[in-house]
Amino acid sequence: MISIANLLSEERLPGNYFAHDVYVKGELELGLLENRRGDRLLAIPDTFIAAIYSGLDRETGSATPLVLFNCGKWWGKNFYVRFCEEVKDYYGYGVAQMEMVEFIQCLEQLWKTHGWGLFTFDPSHYHHGFLVVKISNSPFVRQAPNWKRPAGFLEAGILTSFFTQLTGRELTCIQTACESLGAETNYFVLGVRDRLQNVESWVKEGQNHEAIMTQLCA
Amino acid sequence: MHPEIVRLLQEAEDRYLQTSEVEIFQRYAASLNRRLEIYEKLREKEEKIFQPVADAIEAAFPNEKPEVVSRSLKHWILILRYCATAMLANDPEFLKLRLQEWVKGLVAAQANEEIELKIYELLETELKSHLSEKQLPLLLPFLAKSKELIFTDE
Repeated sequence: MISIANLLSEERLPGNYFAHDVYVKGELELGLLENRRGDRLLAIPDTFIAAIYSGLDRETGSATPLVLFNCGKWWGKNFYVRFCEEVKDYYGYGVAQMEMVEFIQCLEQLWKTHGWGLFTFDPSHYHHGFLVVKISNSPFVRQAPNWKRPAGFLEAGILTSFFTQLTGRELTCIQTACESLGAETNYFVLGVRDRLQNVESWVKEGQNHEAIMTQLCA
Repeated sequence: MHPEIVRLLQEAEDRYLQTSEVEIFQRYAASLNRRLEIYEKLREKEEKIFQPVADAIEAAFPNEKPEVVSRSLKHWILILRYCATAMLANDPEFLKLRLQEWVKGLVAAQANEEIELKIYELLETELKSHLSEKQLPLLLPFLAKSKELIFTDE
């Protein structure tokens, strides 16, 4: 017999920690933005993102994508640590103990609340050893120069280190569809490096995301 | 919080509230007392409301794993808490945000829709026996809205 008293023994039923209406707080007098546990947040205008691209292009030229990817990796490392801390503080259990759906919803909500676009996690290729992430309306991609190739290098870097730490396996991430090339959304594929080695050339040939996934999972 | 009151005050930013607006305010203040009573009742009786629901649902789905049933019950305990808050603040938007961005996904991923629907029905019946005729109209619209948000695809 199910006892409601037992179900409610903890009284707290945690919900959507990263919900935007409670997560972001502003202090007008000090001009500060904070999250709900008092960590500083930084708001950056589109112009600033555009300036990062043009500044990098001037300083590093054709190495810009690689620099962005590595910046993303570095940032993603700290981002993962903060994500785990916040989740544990609020839910009372760690990321590893979370139900899959809770974890995914947290990540999707966090992405949206931070204004990084709409993040959707697609686990349907998981049994083939690949994770697919879809990010729509990315502010980073929107400002990217016209490279004639997928431009979400910052995000690919972030996803690489986030999921590498999460899974404990050395993963890499390659973008297979990009809003800057007219695609409806941005697709990113994560997997071990050896198994993704052909993806970049398929992307260069102009194959779309679905075709690439079909070949990968064949 | 209290979007109707916030809107009234914003509209009267450069003047006093008109008589008709003060009346809306008064009606709202009067209903706030009733809302608080309902809120407290739901808080105090949470266990009493849900235990019969749990018993009935176990009887209706005897072959379902207790973990699955417990999880579904927890969804609705959470939903009713959100309904209570939304009713107190008279803020349907709050309910919509919490349900669409959190509970809906949990229900879709973890649960048997038939069980969830049955819990909803049982809960509605149970609430009718705990709340008075005057109290029900303040809460039930939020519960009905929950059903719509949880079970209807966008």
